[in-house]
Amino acid sequence: MNILTLVVQYWPRLIAGLGLTIQITIISLILAGILGMVFGLLSVSKRKTLRAIALVYVDIVRGTPLLVQAFFIYFGIPMALGIQLDPVVSGVITLSLNAGGYLAEIVRGGIESISKGQMEAARSLGLPYGMAMRSVILPQAIRTMTPALINQCIITLKDTSLLSVISVTELTQTGRLIIANNYRSFEVWLIVAVMYFVIIMILSKISKRIERKMSYGKSKN
Amino acid sequence: MGKVKIKNLKKSFGDLEVLKDINLEVKEQEVICIIGASGSGKSTLLRCINALEDASSGTVEVDGNDITRADGNINKYRQDIGMVFQQFNLFPHMTVLKNISFAPVALKLKTKAEAEETALKLLRRVDLEEKANVYPEQLSGGQQQRVAIARALAMNPDVMLFDEPTSALDPEMVGEVLNVMKQLAKDGMTMIVVTHEMGFAREVADRVIFIDEGFIVEEGPPSEIFGNPKNQRTINFLNKVL
Repeated sequence: MNILTLVVQYWPRLIAGLGLTIQITIISLILAGILGMVFGLLSVSKRKTLRAIALVYVDIVRGTPLLVQAFFIYFGIPMALGIQLDPVVSGVITLSLNAGGYLAEIVRGGIESISKGQMEAARSLGLPYGMAMRSVILPQAIRTMTPALINQCIITLKDTSLLSVISVTELTQTGRLIIANNYRSFEVWLIVAVMYFVIIMILSKISKRIERKMSYGKSKN
Repeated sequence: MGKVKIKNLKKSFGDLEVLKDINLEVKEQEVICIIGASGSGKSTLLRCINALEDASSGTVEVDGNDITRADGNINKYRQDIGMVFQQFNLFPHMTVLKNISFAPVALKLKTKAEAEETALKLLRRVDLEEKANVYPEQLSGGQQQRVAIARALAMNPDVMLFDEPTSALDPEMVGEVLNVMKQLAKDGMTMIVVTHEMGFAREVADRVIFIDEGFIVEEGPPSEIFGNPKNQRTINFLNKVL
Protein backbone atom coordinates (compact mmCIF):
# COMPACT_ATOMS: atom_id res chain seq x y z
CA MET A 1 0.00 0.00 0.00
CA ASN A 2 1.66 3.22 -1.11
CA ILE A 3 1.15 6.67 0.30
CA LEU A 4 -1.44 7.68 -2.30
CA THR A 5 -3.75 4.82 -1.46
CA LEU A 6 -3.36 5.79 2.19
CA VAL A 7 -4.39 9.34 1.34
CA VAL A 8 -7.39 8.09 -0.60
CA GLN A 9 -8.39 5.64 2.11
CA TYR A 10 -8.25 8.16 4.97
CA TRP A 11 -9.16 11.30 3.00
CA PRO A 12 -12.62 11.80 4.57
CA ARG A 13 -11.22 11.53 8.10
CA LEU A 14 -8.23 13.75 7.33
CA ILE A 15 -10.47 16.41 5.79
CA ALA A 16 -12.81 16.23 8.77
CA GLY A 17 -9.80 16.71 11.05
CA LEU A 18 -8.53 19.62 9.00
CA GLY A 19 -12.03 21.09 8.98
CA LEU A 20 -12.18 21.02 12.77
CA THR A 21 -8.70 22.53 12.95
CA ILE A 22 -9.80 25.43 10.75
CA GLN A 23 -13.09 25.90 12.59
CA ILE A 24 -11.39 25.98 15.98
CA THR A 25 -8.79 28.40 14.62
CA ILE A 26 -11.35 30.79 13.19
CA ILE A 27 -13.64 30.82 16.23
CA SER A 28 -10.68 31.16 18.61
CA LEU A 29 -9.19 34.00 16.61
CA ILE A 30 -12.48 35.90 16.53
CA LEU A 31 -12.81 35.60 20.31
CA ALA A 32 -9.10 36.32 20.76
CA GLY A 33 -9.47 39.39 18.55
CA ILE A 34 -12.14 40.77 20.88
CA LEU A 35 -10.06 39.95 23.98
CA GLY A 36 -6.93 41.37 22.37
CA MET A 37 -8.63 44.62 21.41
CA VAL A 38 -10.22 45.08 24.84
CA PHE A 39 -7.07 44.29 26.83
CA GLY A 40 -4.85 46.11 24.35
CA LEU A 41 -6.93 49.26 24.83
CA LEU A 42 -6.86 48.76 28.61
CA SER A 43 -3.08 48.56 28.52
CA VAL A 44 -2.76 52.02 26.95
CA SER A 45 -5.34 53.55 29.28
CA LYS A 46 -4.46 56.51 31.47
CA ARG A 47 -5.88 54.69 34.48
CA LYS A 48 -3.44 52.60 36.44
CA THR A 49 -5.94 49.95 37.54
CA LEU A 50 -7.04 49.28 33.97
CA ARG A 51 -3.43 48.95 32.87
CA ALA A 52 -2.77 46.59 35.79
CA ILE A 53 -5.68 44.34 34.79
CA ALA A 54 -4.30 44.04 31.27
CA LEU A 55 -0.81 43.40 32.58
CA VAL A 56 -1.92 40.54 34.83
CA TYR A 57 -3.81 38.88 31.99
CA VAL A 58 -0.93 39.15 29.54
CA ASP A 59 1.59 37.97 32.14
CA ILE A 60 -0.45 34.87 32.97
CA VAL A 61 -0.83 33.94 29.31
CA ARG A 62 2.82 34.50 28.53
CA GLY A 63 4.09 33.02 31.76
CA THR A 64 2.52 29.59 31.39
CA PRO A 65 2.80 26.97 28.62
CA LEU A 66 -0.18 26.56 26.32
CA LEU A 67 -0.29 22.86 27.14
CA VAL A 68 -0.64 23.60 30.85
CA GLN A 69 -3.36 26.14 30.06
CA ALA A 70 -5.24 23.50 28.06
CA PHE A 71 -4.96 20.91 30.88
CA PHE A 72 -6.01 23.47 33.45
CA ILE A 73 -9.11 24.46 31.50
CA TYR A 74 -10.09 20.94 30.39
CA PHE A 75 -9.26 18.94 33.54
CA GLY A 76 -8.54 21.46 36.32
CA ILE A 77 -11.45 23.86 36.27
CA PRO A 78 -14.18 21.21 35.63
CA MET A 79 -12.77 19.16 38.52
CA ALA A 80 -12.88 22.12 40.89
CA LEU A 81 -16.40 23.08 39.81
CA GLY A 82 -17.71 19.54 39.51
CA ILE A 83 -18.74 20.00 35.87
CA GLN A 84 -17.74 18.49 32.55
CA LEU A 85 -16.45 20.49 29.64
CA ASP A 86 -16.56 19.42 26.04
CA PRO A 87 -13.01 19.03 24.65
CA VAL A 88 -13.69 21.31 21.68
CA VAL A 89 -15.19 23.99 23.94
CA SER A 90 -12.22 23.74 26.31
CA GLY A 91 -9.90 23.94 23.33
CA VAL A 92 -11.56 27.05 21.97
CA ILE A 93 -11.50 28.71 25.40
CA THR A 94 -7.82 27.87 25.82
CA LEU A 95 -6.76 29.11 22.42
CA SER A 96 -8.90 32.26 22.68
CA LEU A 97 -7.45 33.23 26.04
CA ASN A 98 -3.95 32.39 24.87
CA ALA A 99 -4.03 34.19 21.53
CA GLY A 100 -5.97 37.04 23.18
CA GLY A 101 -3.00 37.72 25.44
CA TYR A 102 -0.57 37.89 22.57
CA LEU A 103 -2.95 39.97 20.48
CA ALA A 104 -3.34 42.41 23.38
CA GLU A 105 0.40 42.95 23.27
CA ILE A 106 0.30 43.41 19.50
CA VAL A 107 -2.53 45.95 19.84
CA ARG A 108 -0.66 47.80 22.58
CA GLY A 109 2.52 47.87 20.50
CA GLY A 110 0.62 49.08 17.45
CA ILE A 111 -1.07 51.92 19.33
CA GLU A 112 2.17 52.96 21.01
CA SER A 113 3.95 53.03 17.65
CA ILE A 114 1.73 55.95 16.58
CA SER A 115 3.21 59.30 17.56
CA LYS A 116 1.62 61.03 20.55
CA GLY A 117 1.02 64.05 18.37
CA GLN A 118 -1.72 62.19 16.50
CA MET A 119 -3.85 61.78 19.62
CA GLU A 120 -3.11 65.35 20.69
CA ALA A 121 -4.08 66.73 17.29
CA ALA A 122 -7.32 64.77 17.33
CA ARG A 123 -8.17 65.81 20.90
CA SER A 124 -7.29 69.45 20.19
CA LEU A 125 -10.03 69.45 17.54
CA GLY A 126 -12.50 68.47 20.24
CA LEU A 127 -12.79 64.77 19.44
CA PRO A 128 -13.53 62.57 22.47
CA TYR A 129 -10.90 59.96 23.36
CA GLY A 130 -12.88 57.01 21.98
CA MET A 131 -13.60 58.70 18.68
CA ALA A 132 -9.96 59.77 18.30
CA MET A 133 -8.83 56.24 19.05
CA ARG A 134 -11.28 54.72 16.59
CA SER A 135 -10.87 57.12 13.68
CA VAL A 136 -7.32 58.39 14.01
CA ILE A 137 -5.13 56.03 16.04
CA LEU A 138 -6.45 52.53 15.32
CA PRO A 139 -6.61 52.81 11.51
CA GLN A 140 -2.93 53.74 11.54
CA ALA A 141 -2.03 51.21 14.24
CA ILE A 142 -3.69 48.34 12.38
CA ARG A 143 -1.40 48.99 9.43
CA THR A 144 1.71 48.60 11.56
CA MET A 145 0.14 45.65 13.37
CA THR A 146 -0.80 43.66 10.27
CA PRO A 147 2.34 41.49 9.95
CA ALA A 148 2.26 40.58 13.64
CA LEU A 149 -1.49 39.89 13.48
CA ILE A 150 -1.09 37.48 10.59
CA ASN A 151 1.83 35.83 12.33
CA GLN A 152 -0.39 35.26 15.36
CA CYS A 153 -3.09 33.71 13.15
CA ILE A 154 -0.56 31.21 11.85
CA ILE A 155 0.73 30.44 15.34
CA THR A 156 -2.81 29.84 16.60
CA LEU A 157 -3.54 27.56 13.67
CA LYS A 158 -0.50 25.48 14.54
CA ASP A 159 -1.29 25.58 18.26
CA THR A 160 -4.58 23.76 17.60
CA SER A 161 -2.44 20.62 17.21
CA LEU A 162 -1.75 20.75 20.96
CA LEU A 163 -5.45 20.21 21.57
CA SER A 164 -4.91 16.60 20.50
CA VAL A 165 -3.82 15.95 24.09
CA ILE A 166 -7.30 16.76 25.36
CA SER A 167 -8.75 14.45 22.69
CA VAL A 168 -10.03 17.05 20.26
CA THR A 169 -10.12 15.21 16.95
CA GLU A 170 -8.53 17.97 14.94
CA LEU A 171 -5.96 17.14 12.28
CA THR A 172 -3.12 15.99 14.55
CA GLN A 173 -5.39 13.82 16.69
CA THR A 174 -6.87 12.35 13.51
CA GLY A 175 -3.35 11.42 12.43
CA ARG A 176 -2.69 9.74 15.77
CA LEU A 177 -5.90 7.76 15.56
CA ILE A 178 -5.14 6.58 12.03
CA ILE A 179 -1.66 5.47 13.09
CA ALA A 180 -3.16 3.56 16.01
CA ASN A 181 -4.99 1.51 13.33
CA ASN A 182 -2.31 0.95 10.74
CA TYR A 183 1.07 1.72 12.39
CA ARG A 184 2.15 3.73 9.31
CA SER A 185 3.82 6.57 11.25
CA PHE A 186 6.05 7.86 8.49
CA GLU A 187 3.40 8.18 5.80
CA VAL A 188 0.62 9.50 8.02
CA TRP A 189 2.72 12.19 9.73
CA LEU A 190 4.04 13.21 6.32
CA ILE A 191 0.50 13.60 4.99
CA VAL A 192 -0.56 15.56 8.08
CA ALA A 193 2.50 17.81 7.85
CA VAL A 194 1.85 18.53 4.18
CA MET A 195 -1.77 19.42 4.93
CA TYR A 196 -0.73 21.95 7.61
CA PHE A 197 1.96 23.28 5.31
CA VAL A 198 -0.38 23.88 2.39
CA ILE A 199 -2.95 25.72 4.52
CA ILE A 200 -0.30 27.91 6.11
CA MET A 201 1.31 28.70 2.75
CA ILE A 202 -2.05 29.80 1.41
CA LEU A 203 -2.50 32.02 4.47
CA SER A 204 0.96 33.54 4.03
CA LYS A 205 0.26 34.37 0.40
CA ILE A 206 -3.02 36.04 1.29
CA SER A 207 -1.34 38.00 4.05
CA LYS A 208 1.39 39.29 1.73
CA ARG A 209 -1.30 40.56 -0.56
CA ILE A 210 -3.14 42.29 2.28
CA GLU A 211 0.07 43.94 3.47
CA ARG A 212 0.77 45.29 0.02
CA LYS A 213 -2.73 46.68 -0.30
CA MET A 214 -2.48 48.45 3.03
CA SER A 215 0.37 50.83 2.25
CA TYR A 216 -1.57 54.01 1.72
CA GLY A 217 -1.04 57.15 -0.26
CA LYS A 218 1.82 55.97 -2.39
CA SER A 219 -0.24 54.37 -5.13
CA LYS A 220 -2.66 57.27 -5.43
CA ASN A 221 -2.05 60.52 -7.27
CA MET B 1 -13.39 91.26 28.65
CA GLY B 2 -10.46 88.93 28.01
CA LYS B 3 -10.76 86.07 25.60
CA VAL B 4 -8.19 84.07 27.54
CA LYS B 5 -7.62 84.69 31.24
CA ILE B 6 -4.87 82.83 33.05
CA LYS B 7 -4.64 83.23 36.81
CA ASN B 8 -1.92 81.89 39.10
CA LEU B 9 -1.24 79.00 36.77
CA LYS B 10 1.26 76.47 38.04
CA LYS B 11 2.38 73.27 36.39
CA SER B 12 4.78 70.63 37.67
CA PHE B 13 6.02 67.42 36.12
CA GLY B 14 6.89 65.34 39.16
CA ASP B 15 9.32 67.44 41.16
CA LEU B 16 10.05 69.76 38.29
CA GLU B 17 8.07 72.98 38.47
CA VAL B 18 7.80 74.21 34.89
CA LEU B 19 5.29 77.03 35.33
CA LYS B 20 5.52 79.01 38.56
CA ASP B 21 2.61 81.40 38.80
CA ILE B 22 1.61 82.65 35.36
CA ASN B 23 -0.91 85.49 35.01
CA LEU B 24 -1.97 86.55 31.57
CA GLU B 25 -4.96 88.09 29.88
CA VAL B 26 -5.45 88.02 26.14
CA LYS B 27 -8.04 90.29 24.58
CA GLU B 28 -10.24 89.54 21.62
CA GLN B 29 -8.35 89.86 18.30
CA GLU B 30 -5.07 90.29 20.12
CA VAL B 31 -1.95 88.58 18.79
CA ILE B 32 0.42 87.47 21.51
CA CYS B 33 3.88 86.09 20.85
CA ILE B 34 5.54 84.10 23.60
CA ILE B 35 9.32 84.00 23.42
CA GLY B 36 11.94 82.39 25.64
CA ALA B 37 14.68 79.80 25.70
CA SER B 38 13.91 76.08 25.27
CA GLY B 39 12.75 74.63 28.55
CA SER B 40 11.50 77.98 29.79
CA GLY B 41 7.93 76.65 29.95
CA LYS B 42 6.45 78.48 26.98
CA SER B 43 5.13 75.37 25.20
CA THR B 44 3.77 73.99 28.46
CA LEU B 45 1.91 77.25 29.01
CA LEU B 46 0.36 76.99 25.55
CA ARG B 47 -0.60 73.35 26.12
CA CYS B 48 -2.32 74.26 29.40
CA ILE B 49 -4.63 76.60 27.50
CA ASN B 50 -6.40 73.68 25.76
CA ALA B 51 -5.74 71.20 28.56
CA LEU B 52 -3.34 69.00 26.64
CA GLU B 53 -1.49 69.46 29.92
CA ASP B 54 -3.48 69.57 33.14
CA ALA B 55 -2.69 72.58 35.26
CA SER B 56 -1.35 71.73 38.72
CA SER B 57 -3.13 74.76 40.16
CA GLY B 58 -4.63 78.05 39.06
CA THR B 59 -7.26 78.71 36.41
CA VAL B 60 -7.31 79.06 32.65
CA GLU B 61 -10.44 80.69 31.30
CA VAL B 62 -11.22 80.71 27.61
CA ASP B 63 -14.42 82.53 26.62
CA GLY B 64 -15.38 82.51 30.28
CA ASN B 65 -15.09 78.72 30.58
CA ASP B 66 -12.56 77.39 33.07
CA ILE B 67 -10.55 74.83 31.13
CA THR B 68 -8.92 73.45 34.28
CA ARG B 69 -12.32 72.44 35.66
CA ALA B 70 -13.99 71.38 32.45
CA ASP B 71 -14.95 67.86 33.59
CA GLY B 72 -17.24 66.52 30.87
CA ASN B 73 -17.12 69.68 28.79
CA ILE B 74 -13.49 69.63 27.72
CA ASN B 75 -14.26 68.33 24.22
CA LYS B 76 -16.79 71.08 23.73
CA TYR B 77 -14.39 73.77 24.96
CA ARG B 78 -11.58 72.48 22.77
CA GLN B 79 -13.71 72.86 19.65
CA ASP B 80 -13.32 76.62 20.06
CA ILE B 81 -9.56 76.51 20.59
CA GLY B 82 -7.54 75.74 17.47
CA MET B 83 -4.05 74.35 17.85
CA VAL B 84 -1.17 74.10 15.43
CA PHE B 85 1.77 71.88 16.35
CA GLN B 86 5.45 72.02 15.62
CA GLN B 87 5.28 68.58 13.96
CA PHE B 88 2.06 69.39 12.00
CA ASN B 89 0.45 66.12 13.14
CA LEU B 90 -1.71 65.72 10.08
CA PHE B 91 -3.53 62.40 9.88
CA PRO B 92 -1.46 60.37 7.37
CA HIS B 93 -4.28 57.99 6.45
CA MET B 94 -6.60 60.78 5.34
CA THR B 95 -6.41 63.02 2.29
CA VAL B 96 -5.86 66.73 2.79
CA LEU B 97 -9.56 67.36 2.30
CA LYS B 98 -10.50 64.66 4.80
CA ASN B 99 -7.96 65.96 7.32
CA ILE B 100 -9.76 69.29 7.30
CA SER B 101 -13.37 68.13 7.00
CA PHE B 102 -13.15 65.07 9.26
CA ALA B 103 -13.64 66.63 12.71
CA PRO B 104 -16.64 68.86 11.88
CA VAL B 105 -18.38 65.85 10.31
CA ALA B 106 -17.45 63.37 13.06
CA LEU B 107 -18.70 65.82 15.69
CA LYS B 108 -21.90 66.31 13.68
CA LEU B 109 -21.37 70.06 13.39
CA LYS B 110 -21.65 69.94 9.62
CA THR B 111 -22.79 67.58 6.90
CA LYS B 112 -20.09 66.03 4.75
CA ALA B 113 -20.93 68.31 1.83
CA GLU B 114 -20.85 71.45 3.99
CA ALA B 115 -17.61 70.45 5.65
CA GLU B 116 -15.93 69.74 2.33
CA GLU B 117 -17.09 73.04 0.93
CA THR B 118 -15.61 74.82 3.94
CA ALA B 119 -12.44 72.75 3.62
CA LEU B 120 -12.01 73.80 0.01
CA LYS B 121 -12.54 77.44 0.97
CA LEU B 122 -9.90 77.12 3.67
CA LEU B 123 -7.53 75.41 1.25
CA ARG B 124 -7.96 78.34 -1.10
CA ARG B 125 -7.13 80.62 1.79
CA VAL B 126 -3.83 78.82 2.45
CA ASP B 127 -3.25 78.55 -1.29
CA LEU B 128 -3.35 74.74 -1.51
CA GLU B 129 -6.61 74.13 -3.28
CA GLU B 130 -5.02 71.85 -5.86
CA LYS B 131 -3.77 69.52 -3.09
CA ALA B 132 -7.22 68.58 -1.76
CA ASN B 133 -7.04 64.92 -2.76
CA VAL B 134 -3.43 64.33 -1.93
CA TYR B 135 -2.11 62.52 1.17
CA PRO B 136 0.00 64.50 3.66
CA GLU B 137 3.21 62.56 2.98
CA GLN B 138 3.20 63.94 -0.55
CA LEU B 139 3.37 67.52 0.72
CA SER B 140 6.36 69.58 1.80
CA GLY B 141 6.65 70.60 5.44
CA GLY B 142 5.45 74.11 4.71
CA GLN B 143 2.42 72.78 2.84
CA GLN B 144 1.63 70.32 5.63
CA GLN B 145 1.72 73.10 8.19
CA ARG B 146 -0.62 75.23 6.08
CA VAL B 147 -3.02 72.30 5.88
CA ALA B 148 -2.74 71.93 9.66
CA ILE B 149 -3.73 75.58 10.05
CA ALA B 150 -6.70 75.01 7.72
CA ARG B 151 -7.69 71.95 9.75
CA ALA B 152 -7.73 73.97 12.95
CA LEU B 153 -9.69 76.77 11.28
CA ALA B 154 -12.31 74.30 10.07
CA MET B 155 -13.65 74.14 13.62
CA ASN B 156 -14.20 77.89 13.44
CA PRO B 157 -12.24 78.52 16.64
CA ASP B 158 -12.30 81.69 18.74
CA VAL B 159 -8.63 81.41 19.61
CA MET B 160 -5.70 79.88 17.74
CA LEU B 161 -2.68 78.46 19.55
CA PHE B 162 0.56 77.98 17.65
CA ASP B 163 3.28 75.86 19.21
CA GLU B 164 6.52 76.75 17.40
CA PRO B 165 4.79 76.31 14.03
CA THR B 166 7.90 76.93 11.94
CA SER B 167 10.58 75.23 14.04
CA ALA B 168 10.42 71.92 12.15
CA LEU B 169 10.52 73.56 8.73
CA ASP B 170 13.32 74.01 6.25
CA PRO B 171 14.28 77.70 6.15
CA GLU B 172 12.83 78.30 2.70
CA MET B 173 9.38 77.18 3.87
CA VAL B 174 9.12 79.34 6.97
CA GLY B 175 7.91 82.35 5.00
CA GLU B 176 4.85 80.69 3.46
CA VAL B 177 3.59 79.57 6.88
CA LEU B 178 4.26 82.93 8.52
CA ASN B 179 2.42 84.66 5.68
CA VAL B 180 -0.69 82.58 6.34
CA MET B 181 -0.43 83.47 10.02
CA LYS B 182 -0.01 87.16 9.23
CA GLN B 183 -3.13 87.09 7.10
CA LEU B 184 -4.98 85.34 9.89
CA ALA B 185 -3.89 88.05 12.33
CA LYS B 186 -5.04 90.71 9.90
CA ASP B 187 -8.44 89.02 9.65
CA GLY B 188 -8.82 89.55 13.37
CA MET B 189 -8.11 86.09 14.80
CA THR B 190 -7.11 85.96 18.45
CA MET B 191 -3.72 84.25 18.40
CA ILE B 192 -1.21 83.01 20.93
CA VAL B 193 2.04 82.06 19.23
CA VAL B 194 5.04 80.38 20.81
CA THR B 195 7.84 81.20 18.42
CA HIS B 196 11.52 81.64 17.78
CA GLU B 197 10.77 83.91 14.82
CA MET B 198 11.62 87.28 16.32
CA GLY B 199 10.95 89.02 13.01
CA PHE B 200 7.39 87.69 13.04
CA ALA B 201 6.91 88.70 16.67
CA ARG B 202 8.18 92.18 15.96
CA GLU B 203 5.96 92.64 12.93
CA VAL B 204 2.72 90.94 13.88
CA ALA B 205 2.44 90.75 17.67
CA ASP B 206 0.38 93.23 19.61
CA ARG B 207 2.19 92.10 22.71
CA VAL B 208 5.33 90.06 23.26
CA ILE B 209 5.77 87.95 26.37
CA PHE B 210 9.16 86.80 27.53
CA ILE B 211 9.11 83.69 29.71
CA ASP B 212 12.06 82.44 31.71
CA GLU B 213 12.19 79.66 34.28
CA GLY B 214 8.43 79.44 34.54
CA PHE B 215 7.72 83.13 35.06
CA ILE B 216 6.60 85.91 32.77
CA VAL B 217 9.66 88.09 33.14
CA GLU B 218 8.66 90.90 30.86
CA GLU B 219 5.81 91.80 28.55
CA GLY B 220 4.90 94.69 26.32
CA PRO B 221 4.50 95.84 22.74
CA PRO B 222 7.21 94.50 20.43
CA SER B 223 8.76 97.92 20.01
CA GLU B 224 9.41 98.01 23.75
CA ILE B 225 10.53 94.40 24.25
CA PHE B 226 12.85 94.40 21.27
CA GLY B 227 13.79 98.09 21.28
CA ASN B 228 14.11 98.81 24.96
CA PRO B 229 14.03 95.68 27.13
CA LYS B 230 14.18 96.46 30.84
CA ASN B 231 14.91 93.15 32.52
CA GLN B 232 18.49 91.87 32.41
CA ARG B 233 17.30 88.33 31.58
CA THR B 234 15.34 89.61 28.59
CA ILE B 235 18.38 91.54 27.41
CA ASN B 236 20.59 88.45 27.73
CA PHE B 237 18.11 86.29 25.83
CA LEU B 238 17.65 88.80 23.02
CA ASN B 239 21.40 89.24 22.71
CA LYS B 240 21.68 85.52 22.10
CA VAL B 241 18.91 85.17 19.52
CA LEU B 242 19.10 88.44 17.59
